[in-house]
Order: sequence, then C-alpha cells, then structure tokens
Amino acid sequence: MTEPRTLDQLSPGQKATVKKVGGQGAVRRRLMDMGVVNGVEIELIKAAPLGDPLEFRLRGYHLSLRKNEAQQIEIN
Amino acid sequence: MAAEPLTVALAGNPNVGKSTIFNALTGSYQQVGNWPGKTVEKKEGWVSIDGQRVAIVDLPGTYSLAAYSVEEIIARDFILNERPGIVVAVVDAANLERNLYLVCQILELGLPVIVALNMSDTARSRGVEIDVQKLSQQLNGTAVIETVGNRGIGIDTLKAAITRAQTARRQPSVLDYGDVIEAEIDQLQARIEADPVLAHQYRARWLAVKLLETDDDLRAHLEQMGHQPLVKSADEAIARVTASLGDDPETLITDRRYQFIGQAVGAAVTRPSQMAETPSDRADRIITHRLWGVPIFLLLMWIVFQFTANVSAPFVDWVDGVVTGPIAQWAAALLGAVGVSDTWLESLLLDGVIAGVGGVLVFVPVLLFLYLGIGLLEDSGYMARAAFVMDRVMRVIGLHGKSFLPLLIGFGCTVPAVYATRTLENERDRRVTGFLATFMSCGARLPVYVVFGAAFFGAQAGNLIFGLYLLGIGVALVTGLVMKRALYRSAPPQPFVMELPPYRMPDARTVGRQMWERTRGFVQRAFTVILGCSVAIWLLLAVPRSLNPGEFNTVEPQDSLFGSISGALAPVFAPAGFGTWEATGSLVTGGIAKEVIISTMNQVYALDAEEDASASETPTTFVEDMGSVAQSFGQAVILTGQEIVNIVPRTVNIIPGINLPEADFLGAGEASEDTSALNTMLTRAFTPLAAVAFTVFILLYVPCMAATAAMRHEFGSRWMLYQLGYTAVIAWVAAVVVYQGGLLLGIGGA
Repeated sequence: MTEPRTLDQLSPGQKATVKKVGGQGAVRRRLMDMGVVNGVEIELIKAAPLGDPLEFRLRGYHLSLRKNEAQQIEIN
Repeated sequence: MAAEPLTVALAGNPNVGKSTIFNALTGSYQQVGNWPGKTVEKKEGWVSIDGQRVAIVDLPGTYSLAAYSVEEIIARDFILNERPGIVVAVVDAANLERNLYLVCQILELGLPVIVALNMSDTARSRGVEIDVQKLSQQLNGTAVIETVGNRGIGIDTLKAAITRAQTARRQPSVLDYGDVIEAEIDQLQARIEADPVLAHQYRARWLAVKLLETDDDLRAHLEQMGHQPLVKSADEAIARVTASLGDDPETLITDRRYQFIGQAVGAAVTRPSQMAETPSDRADRIITHRLWGVPIFLLLMWIVFQFTANVSAPFVDWVDGVVTGPIAQWAAALLGAVGVSDTWLESLLLDGVIAGVGGVLVFVPVLLFLYLGIGLLEDSGYMARAAFVMDRVMRVIGLHGKSFLPLLIGFGCTVPAVYATRTLENERDRRVTGFLATFMSCGARLPVYVVFGAAFFGAQAGNLIFGLYLLGIGVALVTGLVMKRALYRSAPPQPFVMELPPYRMPDARTVGRQMWERTRGFVQRAFTVILGCSVAIWLLLAVPRSLNPGEFNTVEPQDSLFGSISGALAPVFAPAGFGTWEATGSLVTGGIAKEVIISTMNQVYALDAEEDASASETPTTFVEDMGSVAQSFGQAVILTGQEIVNIVPRTVNIIPGINLPEADFLGAGEASEDTSALNTMLTRAFTPLAAVAFTVFILLYVPCMAATAAMRHEFGSRWMLYQLGYTAVIAWVAAVVVYQGGLLLGIGGA
C-alpha cells in the first residue's frame, strides 16, 4: 500500500471524493461543519498567488484551506 | 395575549444577507452594541407585527453551533439561555447544503424555526429551482419563506409566518442517527432526564447528542457543575460506538446530518446538469490570479489607505477649524456673558474641555472613511480574497492574511487600525495585529520627523524619515516573531478554513449603517478617556510648582507642575541624549496626541512670544461664523473630491519615471507651518545624534491617548497596559542604543 492520497495533492481542475477527515480539535470540527465529510466530492480550483492556501469547490461553494489543513484530508 | 413580548433570533451563515433581512425587518428601530464581555457586535431591533412588539436579535454569523469560535458560543448560548420564541434561520438559496447544516442544528435544539430562503432570485438566475413546499416537508414541516432582503421581497410573508409560528404546534425535529448511536443517546438521555436541574436547563436529547459529539465547551461546563459521572459515561459511550462502527460518533453524527440534508436538497432542488460559470467565478479568475492577484490586492489596500489618510483630511481640518474657531469663540462669548472671562474656569472649558472634545471629533471623518472602505471590501466579498492572497506572507509572523489591512491603515492612524482588526475572527490574531499596528508610523508622527530632519539633515531629511518607517516595520516584525514564539507557542493551531463567498454588489444601506454605528461606538467610548487626559494636562499646566493659589493658571510652563514632572522625568532620557525638561515635556503631551509635539516644542522653547494670530482676529457675528462654517464645509467637500481624484496620480506616480500632476481645485497648494525659528532652537538644544534618538523614541513610544482608548475598548485594560509598558520600554531601549551606539562609533556626538 502506498501512502494515502491527500487533498493537497490534487491538481487544479481535478475532483476527488473525501475518504477520511484527519486532524483533531478545532480544525477538524470546522472542516466537518463546512461540509468536508466522508463521501463529498471536492474540486481544487487553484492555489493562491503565493502558492498557499488552496481554493476548493464543494457543495456549490468555494472554500479556502491551507496546505497543511488539506494534508489532513484523505481522498480516493 | 397580543401584548406579550416576543423575541426572535436571527441566525445564519456569514455572507447570506442576514443583515439585509435584519434591516428590512426592523427599519430604523435598532441598536448596536457588544455582546456582554465580547468584542462581537450585537444588533437588536424592534418591529411591530399586528400590534405585537417583537424584538429581533441578530446573532453573529456562524456555520455551526459547535463551540469553537466566540461567535458560535454567543449564538448557541443565546438560543439555549435566552430561549427566543422563534429562530429565523437565514439561508443562501444558491448554497443550500452548507447553509442547512446550521438549520439542522437549530432544529435539534427544539425551538420553532422559520427558514428564510434568501437571495432566491440569484439562485434562480443560475438555473437553481427550489420547490419551497417540498423543502418544507423534508425539514419536518418547518416553514420556508422566500426572501430577497436587499429589495424587501418576502418580508411581509416572513412577518406573517412569525405570527403564525407562535401558535403552531411545535414538532421537535428528530434525526435518526442509526441503531448503535441511538441506543447510546437513549441511555444518556435517561440519565439527563433523571436530573431535574439538567433536564430543566437543556433539551435532554440535544445534550446527549452533544456529549457524543465531544463538545469540549459543554463538557467543561458540566464538569464544573459536578456532573463528572455523566461526562464519564459519555466517554464510555463514545468508546463503544467507535469500537463497534469503526469511526467516532462525532464524525458519524456530522455525516448523518449532511446525509439528511443531501436527501432534502435532492428532493426539493433541481439544478442544471452543468453549472455554468458564474460572473463571480469569472471575476475571481482575474482578481486572485497567480500574477495579478498580488498587484490587485496591493492596489485595493492602497486605495483604502488613501481614503483613511488623505480623503478624510479635509474634513478633519474642517472639524478642527470649527471646534478651535467658531465653537471656541462662541463658548468664550457665552462665558463672557455670564461673567467668567479671563478666569481659570474659562481656561479649563476652552483649553481643557473643548480641546478634548475636538480631539475626539477629528477622528470622526477618519473612521467614517475607514468603515466605508472596510464595508465595501467586506460586503463585496473581497475581504476573504485579501486573506487568501496575503496569508502566506502574514503567516511568517504567525498572523492571518486579513492582518495586512489593519497594519497598513496604521500608517495613516493607529485608531482606525485598531478598529480594523475587527475584520479578524480570531481573538489572538486580533490582539497581536492591534499590538503591532502601533509600530506602523502614523501620519501624526511624520511632522516631527520632518521638522527634525529639516533642522539637522537638510537635503538628507528623506533618508531619516524613510529609515524611521523601516525601523517601525522592523520592530513590528521582531515583536510579532517574539509573540508567536514566546506567548502563543503552546496554543492549539487555529483553523484557516475559510469560505470564499461569491462577489456581489455591496448593499449601500448595510455599509452606511456600519459606518455610522461603528464610528458612534468610538465617539461614545473615547470621550471619557480623551476628555479626562485633556483636562488632566490642562490642570498640570495650570497648577504652579509652588502650589501658590495666586499663581493658578497664570504660571509659566516651566514653573508649573507639568514643568516639574517633566523635569523629574528628564534624567531618564539622559542616556538617550535628550534629558531636558523641554524635550520630556513635549513627549508627555505627545502621549496625548502626537500632532501636538511640535506645538508643545514651540511653546516650551519659548517661541510663543508672538501671540497666536487667531487671538487678535476681528470680532465676528454669529451669522458670519455660521456662514464661514458652511463655506469651509463646502471647501472640505471640494477638497475631498480632489483627494479622491488624486488617488490616481498618487498611485500611478509610484511607478518610476512617471510624474502625473495632482489636482488642486482651490489653488491652495500645500499649506506648511512656519518652523524656521523652531529649527534654530532645536539645533541648539539637540546634537544631531540626539535628534535621531529622539525621533526614534517618537516613532516607538506609547500610542496617543485616542489609540490607547481604542485599544482599551477593543482588547481590555490589561492588554492596553501591556502595550503601554512594552512600547515605553522598547522606545527607550532603541533610543539609548542609537545614542550610545552613535557615541561609541564617534558619530554626531556633542
């Protein structure tokens, strides 16, 4: 088995399904509250001009995450 | 029955037009304050529906009722403790799924809920059709009303629904979390219901679910109340669920809510198979573009800075002119009429009180323009992009992308900079940003650098000024790094996780309201502090060192208490090369307002022999005064227009090699104070090295009283005292290092 793929590894325009939301505490809670839960489809739109954070689209809205936050989300 | 007061809480995600609904419901009957003990704005309004008085409370915008942010705790505590009769949940029709998550949580609290499906026109234009009836069915019969808040559509229907909801049968929504979790919920619920106090305070099922969700805030609260056994059995339940289902209940419960929402949306909403790219998406491709993103950001920040620093300036001058001119004269005339001219009372009222009032009012135009800028950035949806673009840079000193704007505004004035920190959600980021903003050299410090630069360095003055600005930024950087490392190392990481809302046309009413309410907040709170300081300084200058009552208010500055205090403090500054009572005295008044440092120096270096020109002006009538007030107001309006126009040349001129002329509508040119006499005195009183040390001290030392009042207002007294202490120490150390270092290197000494 290779390392599980995480959300920060998507390239712009690519979609994936969330498999597991890692991390803990406030960050994890906030991610789930914003609809980043198992099975949701999520698309990377682009990175910020300086490379970080990243902009995603899910459930019809746009969400921005830092790379280290996106790293905690496993995808299929 | 109809007279019974009803409280309606307005809940919803940020950026869903909640304030437009609030404004449409309450009209002008509203009041803005803070939630007790918090810096989060609390808006309350009143409306009469069918003769019944209804209080509308606008809860902070939140995505959830988990208790991880201040806003969430406030919203949740209000619903739990104040038990509003009805909760109106405002949802963005174009973005139903995430919005319904909050609705779901409110429904679980068991209160009557009305869903206001806002901005349904925008959703429809994107091809999203929502079957309101079906959505209502899916949400267990919750009333769903279509609204367009900024155009007042659906507000009457919403009011009618509020009346109806009071009498409607309440059906608490029950979400089925599946056998395993439900069994645990039942057990916990039974334990909660067995305790009459708990059962009275909370809805038992809700509390049971929250315990399984590992809600830290509630757990801590319960443990405090002596319910450790309950928390412990919740922990065991969590362990059992995790063991049997392979995932923790927190995740499973959230998943289940989103599943429920997915079903509801699936049944009630039809979307076009291929979502067309919205105008907002197209705009965003340019606005946060890889190459253009940063220049566009810098340009917008620069424009907001120009608004607070330059566009407001004509009105600042106007307010200052009216207060020190006509108002002071009228007051003097009035005092003459009651027979107290030329007494200490007149002096107290004119030089202490009216000067203090003026000291507050001059900030009004600055803040109005600041809030105009911030309001437009926030309401248009750009503020989140600013954070998106800048986050990488600000993170170096442990801050959030949104910290950039307050810091930039600090170059204009520290007071609006402190208030601009409200755009940050996180309290820690807010405090650190406000702390660092004082090191951004504000506009009022510049005249001091200019006078000293001209007196000591002639053509090289620009280097001194530029160096001081850089030093301020450097000190802020180092301070930020130290605070990140030392103070906040052990703090848990704060989520950046941030919505990028669609761009939209800012709502004039919302922006205008904010400008007015927030500025009023400053005036109300700053008055006492600024007035107090102003009167205190007057008193120190009036009381003679000899304490001889005969000399009260006639004493020369050096023989007053002010003089003796300055003299006593002076030795402290000897290592920095400016240990004289005159220099110290101007630092003391500079602590009141940086812009008076030069005028104090004019006074104490005994240059006030030539009386102020204004004192010998020919007497004017009231009508003439009113005429000149109106005329100068007109001029201020014209000059403001000029400053707005001049943003263009000032911006373009940053590019080397281009030098567009600036507009000068009134042909006035730049007014400049005559300081040549002061220059001569200064070159006698300071060595060049001491002059540099002095300007370094001015750059870094305590913020003016208006900024101090703003900080106390925003961050509390304790934080304000830290700030005063830190700035005083750092300024002294820096000035001494400059002076002693210079002496060691053998430059610019005596």
